[in-house]
Amino acid sequence: MSQQPNGADLLNTARSALLQHLLDELPERRRYLARMIANAMAIAARELELGDGVDRAELTSLRMLYQDPAPDSSEDVASRLEALNRRLCSDIRQGGFSSRVDEKRLRDHLRRSVAARVAISNPKALKV
Amino acid sequence: MSLAERLPALARFIAEHAQATQARIVHCQPLTGGAIQENWVLEVELPDGPLAGQHALVLRTDAPSRVAASHSRAEEFALLRTAHKAGVAVPEPLWLATDPAVLGKPFFLMRHVAGVAAGHKLVKDPGFPIDRAWLTQRLGQELAKIHALSPSQPDLDFLGPPSRHPARERITEYRGYLDALGAARPALEYGLAWVERHMHEPVLITLTHQDYRTGNYLVDENGLAAILDWEFAGWGDPDCDIGWFCARCWRFGAVDQEAGGIGARSDFLKAYEKASGRTVDPDRVRFWEVMAHLRWAIIALQQAERHSSAQEPSLELALTGRISDELQLEMLRLIETTDPIESGKE
Repeated sequence: MSQQPNGADLLNTARSALLQHLLDELPERRRYLARMIANAMAIAARELELGDGVDRAELTSLRMLYQDPAPDSSEDVASRLEALNRRLCSDIRQGGFSSRVDEKRLRDHLRRSVAARVAISNPKALKV
Repeated sequence: MSLAERLPALARFIAEHAQATQARIVHCQPLTGGAIQENWVLEVELPDGPLAGQHALVLRTDAPSRVAASHSRAEEFALLRTAHKAGVAVPEPLWLATDPAVLGKPFFLMRHVAGVAAGHKLVKDPGFPIDRAWLTQRLGQELAKIHALSPSQPDLDFLGPPSRHPARERITEYRGYLDALGAARPALEYGLAWVERHMHEPVLITLTHQDYRTGNYLVDENGLAAILDWEFAGWGDPDCDIGWFCARCWRFGAVDQEAGGIGARSDFLKAYEKASGRTVDPDRVRFWEVMAHLRWAIIALQQAERHSSAQEPSLELALTGRISDELQLEMLRLIETTDPIESGKE
């Protein structure tokens, strides 16, 4: 059971306080730093909210790419994700996924998984 | 020892090189600069000699943490001198000190050029009085002047022999960076595989700036005042500089202004082609735009690593690491536009 307000809520609330009540009080030369702090808090909040789902979706997508067997319940998402991503990197470097069909499947997977990370780091960049 | 304590020695150095009986350093203050160099603005008075009068100078020396891939101050001085002789708008380089007796480390002095470099201001500030269309053309012309320098400059021997295939060399270098980071980044790995399949030999090899972009030049009320940051310059494929300049990641949010967020790509290229007498192949520029996103996406991870390894804890470096994802996404979009795969076809 998670505490309420949760971590993301605390970060978002703290960020609003920084932007609404502190930013204007700061000397000009400190405002850039304050904006960076606000940005870091926003990223951390989105990661708390979305991070697990993004990892699981990426793992599912990687599994489809590799027709990897379904997970058993004891599996650790992070370590399986890391292992499959390493395998993918090594396969790409060795010339894998070079037929147009495979390349298309690869591109679809990469676009999905990178876009999901961008939804955490900078959702504005998702708009073309 | 701080610069303040070294000022008498520095004044003697300046007097000697300016052929004056003495030099008075009236004012001295640090300029905000990169992590690689330390820059100081000096106000210097010379009572006599050929340069008698008051001068605003910039002293450039190494910061405590240097990036190995960048040039030394002596090399940068040679690059600036060559560019200045060729008529490129750069701060005039004056004197180089390789003898550590003066400041304890090598440095050089150049004339101070006033102006604005900040990308956001140049791109978006409606109150900033510049003619952006004119500036776009000037930037094309200035790049053509840099690319007019071919690998036969005796002063630039330290750049080494030019590579016959800069793209291939870069790909090898970037794979090495990724391996050193130890991070599994399939999108970057795919980007590297794609550029390897689509690379080509350069049409010609020239001096290339390697960081020619908005943010790295100074603009004043008369227009383009100086091209800065020569620390990565080297022999290369001139289309690489064009791709870097036009890459979406250097438009500071003004994505429709494809030439550095400042103006139209066609205006930039027209001015460049006219000044260089060379026709630019847009496909080759696209290729280098993919390379630009790859390069910046990998550098962003390296910056974050400087933070994460506790070598240099910094919020700015940490946040730079998070830019890598959107650069990768843009790289994938560019690849898709340049080389679309239709569904259901092989």
